[in-house]
Order: sequence, then C-alpha cells, then structure tokens
Amino acid sequence: MRRSALRVGAMAWKETLHILRDPRTLLLALAMPVFLLLLFGFGVSFDVDRIPLAIADGDRTEASRALVRAYVEPHEFEPVAAVEAEGAEALLRQGYALGALIVPHGYAEALDRGEPGGAQLLVDGADGVIANQVLAKSDATALAAGQSRLAAAAGAIAPPVAVSVWTRYNPEARSAIFMVPGLSAFLLAVGAVLLTALTVAGEWERGSMEQLFASPLGRLEIVAGKLAPYLVLGELQFLLVLSLGTFAFDVPIRGNGPLLFAFGLLFLLGMLGQGLLISVLAKSQLVATQAGALSSLLPSLLLSGLLFPVENMPAPLRALSALVPARYLVRALRGILLKGAGLDVLWPDLVAQVIFAAVVVALATARFKRRLA
Amino acid sequence: MAAPGGEPALEARGLVRRFGATTALDGLGLAVRPGELYGLVGPDGAGKTTAIRALAGLIDLDGGEARVLGLDPIREGRAVRERLGLMPQQFSLYRDLSVMENLRFFGRVYCLPRAAFRERSERLLQLTRLAPFADRRADALSGGMYKKLALACALLHRPEVLILDEPTNGVDPVSRRELWALLHEFVHGGMAVLISTPYMDEAERCDRVGLAHRGRLLDEGAPLELLARSGAATFEELFVARIREAG
Repeated sequence: MRRSALRVGAMAWKETLHILRDPRTLLLALAMPVFLLLLFGFGVSFDVDRIPLAIADGDRTEASRALVRAYVEPHEFEPVAAVEAEGAEALLRQGYALGALIVPHGYAEALDRGEPGGAQLLVDGADGVIANQVLAKSDATALAAGQSRLAAAAGAIAPPVAVSVWTRYNPEARSAIFMVPGLSAFLLAVGAVLLTALTVAGEWERGSMEQLFASPLGRLEIVAGKLAPYLVLGELQFLLVLSLGTFAFDVPIRGNGPLLFAFGLLFLLGMLGQGLLISVLAKSQLVATQAGALSSLLPSLLLSGLLFPVENMPAPLRALSALVPARYLVRALRGILLKGAGLDVLWPDLVAQVIFAAVVVALATARFKRRLA
Repeated sequence: MAAPGGEPALEARGLVRRFGATTALDGLGLAVRPGELYGLVGPDGAGKTTAIRALAGLIDLDGGEARVLGLDPIREGRAVRERLGLMPQQFSLYRDLSVMENLRFFGRVYCLPRAAFRERSERLLQLTRLAPFADRRADALSGGMYKKLALACALLHRPEVLILDEPTNGVDPVSRRELWALLHEFVHGGMAVLISTPYMDEAERCDRVGLAHRGRLLDEGAPLELLARSGAATFEELFVARIREAG
C-alpha cells in the first residue's frame, strides 16, 4: 500500500515536471480559458444595447410620457420615430425599429381607475435572441416604472400594476452572467480532455510506455499518477475562470463554495477519464487530439445547455445530452452561482457526475492493456 | 570465465508469436543462467525484439512458455518486474527530464530508500562517466551517453535479470566498448544478462550465443566452440553458412 502510494507519487512528480517544462501545456491550460472567456464575455455578447424603438403615444398625458421616459432614459432603448399606432408595424418590417411601444388613448384614465393601462410592446421576433432581450428588458423597465408609480402614489390608494413576467436572478438579462457559468464548464471540458489525451498518447509515442510496463508500476498507479497533476491544474483553471467571471463580469457567487469545488473536481475527473480513454484507444497524439477535441468540444458546446436550453431539444438529442457531463455542470454552476442552490436541489447532477467519472475511468483502466502489441 | 551453473534465470521454450500473416517467433527457445551473458545475435526481423518482449511479459504468446526466475512474466508480472531490468531498443526515457531526474524517477518507481538511491546513483553515474552531465536534459545527450543512462536506469534497482534490446545499435565504437565493459562487470556480480545485437562481431564478447533467424535459433553455444565446430573464421561466415543450410 505504501509502496503503491510511492509509485503514484513518482508518476505524479514526473508528470508535474513535464507540465512545467512544456510552456504549451500551461498556455493551453491557463491562458486559453482566460482568452476564450474574455472573447465570449465581451466580444460575443448577446446583450443588445440601444434597441431602436418606435414610439406611438396616443394618450399624450403626464402618465404616458412618464412611461416613455422610463423606456428611453436608461439608454436601453433608443427612440427612433414617433408614429401613429397604425404606422408602427411598417417600421418593424423595414427593420428601422426592433420594437414599438404603443400607448393607447385613455392610458392615464385607466391607471387612475386602478386598471391596467393597456400599453403594448410590439417586438421584431425574426431574431429570437434579440426578441428575448427586448422582452426581458421591457419587463424590467415596466416593472421599474410600476414601482416608481407606486412610490409616487404613496399614501393614496395604490393602483394595481399588472406585471406578467418577472425575471429573477438575472433581471437585466446580461449574457455574461448567464454565459460565464456555462463557459467555464465548456472550457474545463475541452482543456481536461485534451491535456490527458495528449499525455498518455505521448507516453506511447515517445516509447516510454515500454519502460513503464516493464517496471513495477501498476496500471491504476500509472493512471492515478498521470491524472493527479492534471486534476490540480484543472482546479486552478476552474478557480481562474470563476474569479475572472466574478471580477470582470460581476458574476455573483451566491451558493456554497465547497459544493462548487466538489462539482468542479468530479467534473474534471470525468473529463480526465474521457481523455484517458481516448488516448488509451488512440495511442497517437494526433488522433487523440482530434478525437479529444471533437468529443469534448461539440457536446459541451451544443448539448450542455450552454447555448441551447436542454428542455427545448428534440427527445433524441435530449437523451443524448444526458451522457454529456457538461450538462450537469452547467446546471449546477448556474444553480450555485446565480441562485444559491444547494445539494438538496442539485444532488441528481452530482450523482450523474459520479457515475460518469466512475464509468469512464473504469473503462479506460480496463482497456489500458499492459501489452505492447 | 567462471562456468555459470544452477537453474536458468531466464528461460524461453518454443516461443510462438504471429502478427497477422507474419510469424515473428517460430519456436524460439533459450536459457540464461545467473552470472551468464547470453547474446541473441541476428539480423533485423529475426524476432529478437519480440522474444525479449515476450520474456519481459510485454506481449502475449500464441505458443510456448517464458519464465523469469521460474515465474510467469505475465501472470506473476508484479513479482517479475521487481527483479527484472529492461533496456528497450528505442528511446524510452523522458527527454525533457535531466539525467538525474530520470534516475530519480526510476528510483522512486522501485521505491528505493533515499540513502540507497543516493549511493547507487552516484556509483552508476561514475561508472558510466555521466556524473558531469547529471543536470543535462536527456534529449541533449549523445547516442552513446543516452544508452549509458538507460543502462543506469535499468540497473538502479539491482535486478537479478537484465535484458537489453540492441543497446549498441547506433552507438559509436568507443561507447560500444564502454557499454560491454560495464556489462561484464555486472555479470560477474551474478546477474543473468540477455542482450540482443545485429552485430556479428559482438558475439565473441558473450559467454554464450544464439543465432536467431526467422523466429528461431539456428545454432547455439559458446562463441569459440561454435566457430571451431563449424570451421568458420568469423561469425558472419558462420551465420551465412547456417542460413544457407536452413534454406
């Protein structure tokens, strides 16, 4: 037992030296996630600012002007035209405006009677992402306007304000807050699979596997010693991505830190196992890199719920996504970071991660034959 | 030379191994006793590397039996590997690690106590005259120096059986002579050594020689005895004659 630990330690020590001596590994592990996160966080933003808005104020009262101001003043919406209600749709069709705020005649009177004002927002739904943004921002604005009316009318009988949707956890619908947890899962997946796929295949390619097999090192000892430094590197990567998310994009950490750490560790174990399995089967760095990138990149990007909600997928894809560990991590990260969710909610995701990690590491070790030919 | 005796430390009986349509081993058999330096001599493709890998438990056999110190190298692999040293033909150490780090890695893999490691590594570095290059990266060593380092790594845990696959291939004549001198020193300590080589002239340096061709032995015996028996002047001559006889 003690000798076994010594051998794993020898392997881990050697692997750490490899990592420290190869700037490419460190670059791949630490610089790439930062670069990608900044790129996605700043560059590829789904946030729409200064949404061109056509305004059709048919009421022209103090109350209707207050509503228009509430939309326009925070610069979320930019007034591009003042039209009659009938002309608004034409502007949307021409692409001149992405939304039209229509305040009907009698809006102020309705509010005074304590009824919903009946103001409408027409949204250009051709681009689903933009439409959702406009809707979310409109919700936030309408809510704020309603609340300020409540405050203004304090003392008097408060008029009921009709609110249909209330966006919680990310009320401004900022994509960074939504994307960072998902992205960190994606980056961890790609990094971990690639790193391990390279390291074991490298051992075959360099010819050192023959020497390892002729030594008392057991298969599990080789695997454990190889994974350990990458697990540490992966956790560093995880920490780096999370702190970058917190400091650069104001992503909150509402939940429990150790739980976050545990999810990261289990996820990494699964991903490292997947990389190991690939390199055990491939035995060449080139093939292992391609298989590793393909099997981690695409599923983690497309099937994890990072970009497309799992709930909206057709049944076969949804079933397939159950095999993608990134799906559970994305859910868990969003839950822990944004909602402060705990183990009582996230335990199925934790169990799924454990199962995945156990199965791939077992498969990899079983397929890892102590034979050269 | 002292007559080596006792049970064979290394034994191959009728080894058969096929790779698809080609037969790499076709009934090869040999035995190496403790304190004996056995040379497996033959051209490329004779099956030397396959035989060595079978003895080290690195490949499965289609037929025959391999024994190391009386143990099955696959089923009793762990016990065998603690007492076996292997020096593969290809570059098999870590290029980005220094001479000392490569040694230290194998010292840890074999769980050598710190003091024992320090004493043995110093002695090996001195014997191989690698001491001044202890901090040099393995990929910056010359061919001969690399082979000496690989030998040092294989000897660190004082194996009872040492197997070397073409250690002198691609090595300059001076380093070749050095390597052989080192080997003789260790054999006299009672180690059983199996060495493969494509160079016929190296046969004379062994206690016993097996001439390998197409996966089996054409002839076997003490070098001078073999030459005397056949009336050939050199091993090259002897080898060509034996191949012709075999058809």
